[in-house]
Parts: sequence; structure tokens; C-alpha cells
Amino acid sequence: MATGLSELFMANRAALLRFLRARGAGENAEDMIQDMWMKLEAKDIGPVADPLPYLYRMANNLMLDRYRSATRRERREQDWAEGAGGVMADPADDMPVDERLILNQTLDEAREVLRALGPRVELVFRRFRIEGVGQRAIADELGVSLTTVEKDLQKAYRVMIALKQKMDTA
Amino acid sequence: MQEEALGWVIRTRDPDFVDWEAFTLWLEGDPARADAYDALMAADTELDMIIPPEPVAMPVAANDPGQPQRWTWRWVGGGAIAAALVAAVSIGMMNRADIYTVTTRPGETQTIALKDGTRIDVNGGTTLRLDRNDTRFAALDSGEAAFTVRHDEANPFRVTVGDAVFEDAGTVFNIVHSGGATRIGVSEGKVIYNPEAQAISLPAGRALADDAQGLRVMDVAPAAVASWRQGRLVYANAAVSEISEDIGRSLGVKLTATPGAQAMRFTGTIRLDKDPARFFAGAAPLMGLRAIRTGDSWVLKEGNGPQS
Repeated sequence: MATGLSELFMANRAALLRFLRARGAGENAEDMIQDMWMKLEAKDIGPVADPLPYLYRMANNLMLDRYRSATRRERREQDWAEGAGGVMADPADDMPVDERLILNQTLDEAREVLRALGPRVELVFRRFRIEGVGQRAIADELGVSLTTVEKDLQKAYRVMIALKQKMDTA
Repeated sequence: MQEEALGWVIRTRDPDFVDWEAFTLWLEGDPARADAYDALMAADTELDMIIPPEPVAMPVAANDPGQPQRWTWRWVGGGAIAAALVAAVSIGMMNRADIYTVTTRPGETQTIALKDGTRIDVNGGTTLRLDRNDTRFAALDSGEAAFTVRHDEANPFRVTVGDAVFEDAGTVFNIVHSGGATRIGVSEGKVIYNPEAQAISLPAGRALADDAQGLRVMDVAPAAVASWRQGRLVYANAAVSEISEDIGRSLGVKLTATPGAQAMRFTGTIRLDKDPARFFAGAAPLMGLRAIRTGDSWVLKEGNGPQS
């Protein structure tokens, strides 16, 4: 691993630990810091443009992974309890017809709500969410202020997440 | 708190986010905030499946010097960097001393700046003829090129494609010519098709196709025109036969499609990737197809992708 990165890691160990605790790692925070250290040691990461945010992002991703695997386990246990999990379905399998129907309906609804927000909001959302372009770059592209882009994203996210939640509870 | 958490989801999702200390402080304010953030991040991840694949068309007024135009130019500028692949250009003399030929191999692109301020972005697998003494002339013999023309009312820019002529009226447009078919899409201004004959006017957002099915005029999203320059291919109900030609030209791979696959149609955006294996792994299921490698070429077959 790049020596600069390891020095930075050590120098910011306390701050990263504090971040992990704030993120809800609780008593596992120390272990996760250790995990990060091992990961950094194991791979030769090479020069990183902005190393401290890189370390924070790595810590944040560890927490997201943890949350995801926890909820997946919960869901699987629930499926099992409901008798639907007798045969473990391969997620790559084609989805059942009724689910596909719901998905198609949701896609239609998503199309409508995005359209209702106007072309700029939809464009901003797609550039950010699908193409992974930063807000600053999008603002420059469109010749609008950063605040406008932030507000557009909030609007689009609000309706899309509401739609997602509606789909989940359907 | 949901609103605040959503704000942090958006901020931390930005590739340029740096203010992790402020995020830490917010989280420390209430242990429930981390949960709200996690739940929204998880929901965000699952948004992929419910975002419809259609591209967005920003209305671009033909002669409006206001914001939409500025937006288009900026986007074109960014795309030029993304498409900055090394291109080999062979310049050969033709019969007339003032005509020269620009040829790109499949997968290579080339940008030509003419003296009059016109820019031509040449996609892979293309042969284009230009005239040293007349910068208002271009002939697209085969392949694909996007023209960003500096308009001159008195001396319009003309592109000849086979027997057809396209004349600009202050314009950004893209032409594809392959296997007897010609397609043109206009993203800004206006183009006149065969001004001396049919004289079909194509404003921004209109496209024209001339192929085995005859001459047709249709709508096109201005942002989709010449999207290959941004490393993307954007389609609305396009035939897979047409798409596979575009892919072959843009990536420099030999690509065929089975008759069943050729007959299928696709709407959406395909992101180009110079690594063909990685590209097809993502792009083929998107089109409801399977891509199979045979030697150094690829075959598109009907498959059970998520979008049948």
C-alpha cells in the first residue's frame, strides 16, 4: 500500500473511529478499523487523488455493506418463515409474472412522475444517479447554480424513493 | 429528519464529496440518523430497477441563443474529451487535387476542425471526403460523422451522401451511412434534405432515414444525436440490426446479430466501453439479448434479459 495512505490512515485513525461510531458501528468500530487497515495493507491501491475522503468513503461503504447483509438476512429468514423460501431462489432467475407486472406499472409511474418534474430535473437526476456525474459538473454543463442542481436532485429523489416505498408495500 | 438524511444521501453519493467531518457531526446529533441514512441509501441502491430507461430530451430552440443552446455546447465540449481516442487518419489524394480523404478504422475517432469554424467528429469505420479549397463541402462515403456547422447564410454547408445532399441552416447534426441506408439526426438548427429535389426541412429534434423501407421522417431526442461522442449510444425504438452496426463502428469489434435478434427493437441508453467483454456483459442483457464471443468477433442472440 502507498506509504502516504498508511501514514494518513494512522494520523486520522481517531477521526475515522469517531465516524464509524457515529455511523452506528457501536462496539464493532475498533474491529472495522482493523478491517480497513488489513484491506489497505492487502492491496496496492496506488496514488489516490484525494486520500482522506477516500478513507472515509471506504469506512462508509463498510457500514453500507453491513446494513445490506443484515437486511438481506432478515428478509431471507422472513421468506423462510412464510414458507416461500423452501427453495432458495437464485436472484438471477427471471422474476415471477406478477412481480414483473408490478415492476412495469412502477416503471410507467416513474416515467410520469419524472416527466411531471420537468426535463431539467429529470436530466439532472439521470446525470447524477445513472451516469454518476458530480453536482458541480452538472451545474456547469447546464449553466445553472449548484443550489438549483441540489434542489432538483432533492425533488427527484423524493418522488422516486416514495415510489419505491409504495412498490415495496404493495 | 428524513429530509436531512436524504440531503446527506445525495451529498455523500456525489463523487466529489469531501465534508465527512460535517457528516460525522450530523450523525452524532442523534443515533437514529444513522439508521435513517442507511435505510435511504439502501432504497437508493434499489432505485436502479425503477428508473425508466428512456433518455430525456431537452427542448432545444433552433435559433434561440439562450440557455438551452449553451447547455448543448457545454455538453459537446465535455464529450469531445471523453471521445478523445487516438485515431489514425490516412490522407490520400483523390482524382481532384483539392479533395482529400479522411479514414478512421473501427473503434477509432477523429475530430476535424475546418478553417471556417466547422467541426466534424468522425466515428470509427468511416470514410469522409473533404475539399481543401471549399470548406463548405463534405462527402460521407461510409460510416458516421457528427457535424457542428458554423452557419453562413450566403454559403451553406453541404454534405453529400451517395446521391443525397444535406444542406445546413445553422446546425449540429449526425449522419450514418452504411449498407445502402442513410440516417440523419438533427440536434440544433435545421438541415434541408435534397434542397434541389424533395427539399425536406429537418428542424432540431427531427430525424430522417432512407433505407430498404423507403424515405421516412421521425422524431429524435436532440440529446441523443451523436451521443457516441459522449461515449453513449441513445435509442428510441431502434432496430437491433442498426444498433449492432453502431456498436461495431464505435468499439471496433466484428459484430453480427442472428435474424431473431436483428428484428428486435430497443429503447434506452447504452454506455460504450472499450473492453468488449465488459461492454457486452452490461449491454446485451439491457437489450434483452445475449452476446457470444466466437474468436475475435461477437454474435448477438435472443436471450432472457431483463428487458424482453
